[in-house]
Amino acid sequence: MAQAALVNRHMPVVWRVAYRMLKDREEAEDVTQETFLRAWRMLPDWQDRAKFSTWACTVAINLCRDKLKKRAPVLMDELPEHEDSGLKPDQALSQKQAGERISALIDALPDRQKEALTLCAFEGMGNIEAAESMGISVEALESLLSRARRKLRDQLAEVQEA
Amino acid sequence: MTMTDERLLDLIETYGAEPMNWPEAERDAALAHLSANRVQFEPALRDARLIDGILAIDEMPDVPSGLAERILAVAPQAAASRRGIGARLRSIIMPNGARWPAGAALASLAMGLVGGYATAATSSDLYPSTEETVVYAALGYDGLSNFLEEVDG
Repeated sequence: MAQAALVNRHMPVVWRVAYRMLKDREEAEDVTQETFLRAWRMLPDWQDRAKFSTWACTVAINLCRDKLKKRAPVLMDELPEHEDSGLKPDQALSQKQAGERISALIDALPDRQKEALTLCAFEGMGNIEAAESMGISVEALESLLSRARRKLRDQLAEVQEA
Repeated sequence: MTMTDERLLDLIETYGAEPMNWPEAERDAALAHLSANRVQFEPALRDARLIDGILAIDEMPDVPSGLAERILAVAPQAAASRRGIGARLRSIIMPNGARWPAGAALASLAMGLVGGYATAATSSDLYPSTEETVVYAALGYDGLSNFLEEVDG
């Protein structure tokens, strides 16, 4: 059936975006289900000009933002970026633990930077579509991406020095 | 498009060292500029490759099993509940729908040759039947998903 093709094609991306934002499997699943519930509801009025992946990511990101606000309202983008990645000085980037450390570094990024990195670097979305999904300009997206990468580089340097 | 040192540096620092991740509209100009000034940008590329490597090894759990089924369990029935919903889905799954009629015509032709009838052009069911699978294979696709990827570009 056509719905299955739609879900198989787009659901994994929606779930991964939600999981990267929320780092909680159940909440990511809630967001994914809610995104498709909304899709089923608006399908009869679908505008051909809209790209489903963009629409779905926009919905998912907004749902994630709502959940993050409820979870930790002090960690908004307007506030200073948190500097502590949670890594201790004696934690070297060994091969075995590299994955967890990398996740910790990425988790420590501000939410908007994480959104931009998730869409572009992890999901391979083009800059125009990613910016549209986030409701920002391409210039703003690029600013978020470069800041995210710079922050990762700096944090990695700190870990390696330690 | 004109590429400047500053913009190329921006692209590397923003999108990484892999040109395939650079915006398509600027990629050719950026690559040409990079080829002509390789040494100048090598430090930036080295830094970017480090971050690219970090991102590449980030762990990601699998999608929960059964999630697709749970989502589909509350999906409306395309044919029964709303008139035209199948067409809507087709336009979403295949936004470049203009190419679909040609593909459907080819599929219909092949199916006609194999099975003596043609149905693909009007079918609202995008899961391939045995006949459709044969057609996709005959057209050089492993299955519906590959076919859709090709159609979507």
